[in-house]
Amino acid sequence: MTPQTARTTTRKSGVGTPPFAAHGFWRLLVLLAAFGMFVVLLIGRLATLALFESSRAYGATSTEYVPERGDIVDRNGVPLARSIYGYAIWVKPADLLGDRKQLANQLAAIFPDTPAAEFYAKLTADKPGYLRKRALPEQVKQVHDLGEIAIEFPREATRLYPQHDMAAHVLGFVNRDGRGAMGMERVMNDYLRDPSKRSTPLNLALDVRVQAALESELASGMAATNAKGGAGVILDVATGEVIAMATLPSFNPNRPSFANIPDLGQPIVDGRYPISRQTNNVTNRVYELGSTFKPLTVAAALDAGTVRDLSVRYDATKPLQFGRFKIRDSHPSGRWMNTPEALIHSSNIVTAQIADTLGAARMDAMLRNLHFDVRPDIELAEKARPLYPKSWDRLTNMTVGFGHGIAVTPMHLASAYAAMVNGGIYRPATMFKMKSDAKIPGKRVFTAATSARMRQLMRMIVVDGTGNQADALGYRVGGKTGSAEKPGVGGYSRNLVVSTFASAFPMDNPRYVVLAMLDEPQGTEASSFQRTAGFTAAPVVRKTITRIGPLMGIIPDVKRDVDVSELMPLLWKAKGEQ
Amino acid sequence: MNGIVPTPIAALPWRVIFILAALVGFGATVLYSAAGGHFEPWAGKHVVRFVVLLAMAIAMSRMKLEFWKSMTFPLYLLLLFLLVVVQLMGFVGGGSQRWINLGIITLQPSELMKPVMVLAAAWFFDRLPPNRIYGFDAIWPLGAILLLPSILVIIQPDFDAAIAYAFGLGVVGFMAGLPLIYFISAGVGVAVLAPLVFFFGLKAYQQDRVLIFLNPENDPLGAGYHITQSKIAIGSGGIFGKGFGNGTQSHLDYLPEGHTDFVFATMAEEWGIVGGFFILFMYYLLMRWGLSVAMQSKTRYGQLVAAGLTCTIFFYIMINLLMVVGLAPVAGIPLPFVSHGGSSMLTMMLCVGIMMSIERHPGAKRGQFQ
Repeated sequence: MTPQTARTTTRKSGVGTPPFAAHGFWRLLVLLAAFGMFVVLLIGRLATLALFESSRAYGATSTEYVPERGDIVDRNGVPLARSIYGYAIWVKPADLLGDRKQLANQLAAIFPDTPAAEFYAKLTADKPGYLRKRALPEQVKQVHDLGEIAIEFPREATRLYPQHDMAAHVLGFVNRDGRGAMGMERVMNDYLRDPSKRSTPLNLALDVRVQAALESELASGMAATNAKGGAGVILDVATGEVIAMATLPSFNPNRPSFANIPDLGQPIVDGRYPISRQTNNVTNRVYELGSTFKPLTVAAALDAGTVRDLSVRYDATKPLQFGRFKIRDSHPSGRWMNTPEALIHSSNIVTAQIADTLGAARMDAMLRNLHFDVRPDIELAEKARPLYPKSWDRLTNMTVGFGHGIAVTPMHLASAYAAMVNGGIYRPATMFKMKSDAKIPGKRVFTAATSARMRQLMRMIVVDGTGNQADALGYRVGGKTGSAEKPGVGGYSRNLVVSTFASAFPMDNPRYVVLAMLDEPQGTEASSFQRTAGFTAAPVVRKTITRIGPLMGIIPDVKRDVDVSELMPLLWKAKGEQ
Repeated sequence: MNGIVPTPIAALPWRVIFILAALVGFGATVLYSAAGGHFEPWAGKHVVRFVVLLAMAIAMSRMKLEFWKSMTFPLYLLLLFLLVVVQLMGFVGGGSQRWINLGIITLQPSELMKPVMVLAAAWFFDRLPPNRIYGFDAIWPLGAILLLPSILVIIQPDFDAAIAYAFGLGVVGFMAGLPLIYFISAGVGVAVLAPLVFFFGLKAYQQDRVLIFLNPENDPLGAGYHITQSKIAIGSGGIFGKGFGNGTQSHLDYLPEGHTDFVFATMAEEWGIVGGFFILFMYYLLMRWGLSVAMQSKTRYGQLVAAGLTCTIFFYIMINLLMVVGLAPVAGIPLPFVSHGGSSMLTMMLCVGIMMSIERHPGAKRGQFQ
């Protein structure tokens, strides 16, 4: 090195003054070279950070666990399910510095719903894991303030159901892997996750306002009658769109694991409750829906021509004996009744005779045309297979005529009622909103004349019969009650019933089918100590229609009604009765 | 000069003033963004301080070099005295103390000692007859000059300041022509002794501390937190940054000390590596100016002081930047002219003021670097 050489020379030469000029300059250069190395080091580091650290810097955990999903909205664009970002709390136990026991206690103080022992177990685990799947920002700040660097707060996409319990069974929920586990989330999983499609929200046919009205009235009906559960569906008769679909008690899809609580008194099978709050009672449970089948039987008979004259009377003076089997009426009238009277008073005896004259083959064909032999036509995956008669002997035909010996879902019945009142066209129900100009495929099941006649008859049931509690003033409601005894151990139970009211309105130009069902209602003061549908389910329908009518643009009008004047004289009146 | 600008203004050292104004202006921009788009509490003060201290530096540049030479030893003694006073006040007050509060500004003697240490070393070598530089005569006074304040600041405790003193003195000594064997043996000595002391002289917990000092990421509770967040901030800035006012690391308070020691990370998040290179380029111009001042000075004192002060500024820059990118242990050293902080700005402007004075008064002696 030059400076050294310079110095040695001067020392050896013995000259007193070293040549500062020379080695001062060289030393400056050496110093600058050393500094330059640091600068090179610094620039290299900066470049590596900027080029390679950037991808790592953004929390790589944000999309890995729960992928982003498309929104689900109702027919008016009101959000039903959205994806938002929430905080998770993640710990890498190997990197923990603080005392784990103390940390667990501090965490338990921030999250009082989790015991400290559980936190301790997670803090001492071998692998990194979640301390908490979701936490509020203020909780995250408190944990952050504990100053433990091994605890991280990744932001994860999470599913939010802003309406909470509402329409939970329709929407379903997303499991921990980010896959739809139920309802539309399950069926439309691939669509909602498709990066090219998820920016457009999935438009359901539901109307949250109608859904809310239905759920609230069902809940009031349940409370008034001490019923165990309730279900309801509202269907557009022209398009098959499901405007509302409710199962009560519901659950909160934001926290679906709490839905499997054993509050329904269900028997335990293999350590699980076969029917939980997550069961969709509208599509995934079959019921013997009872008397609500009677209009279908009558419609089939009108179509087939086996009932040509509505004034023909049938013997209902005594129970109908068929072999060892006896068909009886719940409220025996002890007289002969014609067809309108049989519907109005819900006579099993007369309906069985009408079914008998119709014949099993035509009954079977009608029910198959209405798809009662297969799972209901709806996009949901939770669909129950009906209990459809395997063989059609004469007795089966007669009991099916008044809704026994066959179990279908309420969804089946609602679609069938839609076909019965809309002019006779069966259309599959759909959860999706239809475009206003969409051509809806359909299949004729009943003649238009039969459909018109059935509107009159169903309106008469409400005006003058068992359904009069459903008469929402001015909304021209028509419908049929059904109170089926539930089959249990040792036969049908007379005390446990499923009360159904299936209806449509307004009957002069039907727009919507409204079906309400109460599971095991009790006779209370509110239901005049009756369990039957006329006192339990029918008021629910009346109140629901009164609430939803204005929302659907149906103007209540007491002066308008379907013309039933030609049929009214057929109804027998006691002397002096108007 | 050209007739329009008055001579006293035209004669100002505009070259360095522009460089500093660019640095301070960019720093103020970053501080403005770091405060969420407000001049308060940092950016406004930063600019005001710079303007006031620039006036002070220009006033200092009017002083002749002889004045600084004659003031060096009294200044050194005064600061030594103040260090003792601070120590006593801390003792009376019951705790560590580094400041003397003068009401308007707080005086930090250990900080002011950094440039004065360079002055003192240069003053000593200027007085030392050249042929005595190889003997013990050159060693003990230097040792005394270094050790007295160093001991006082280590008691505080402020090791960073002691290292800065040693660096300043070492650079001046190196430039003045102290035998290379001193530097080589010092380097070898540290290299040999450090592992011996580490493995045999220290207890386990002390070894842990050293390890954490060497690799701050092993100490996530303390230094490592800063480094991790700083690296995330710089990395997330990428090449062109997230844009002015869009830094999340600093705005959401992930990055600690984002307006002082880690201001470079705050800047890099929003301006990217491009902003980093701008700052480095400005520092390069500043260094070039400082060294050219040293080269052009005709006196040994002026040369040593200018080179020593330039290296002191460089020392600050390097330690801070290496710390921010995670290559050096976390030390409380701010980034000159960019970080918010009065003491740092005062020290830096004192250095600049003295160098301006040297530039203005190159002296009559024959140049010794040439």
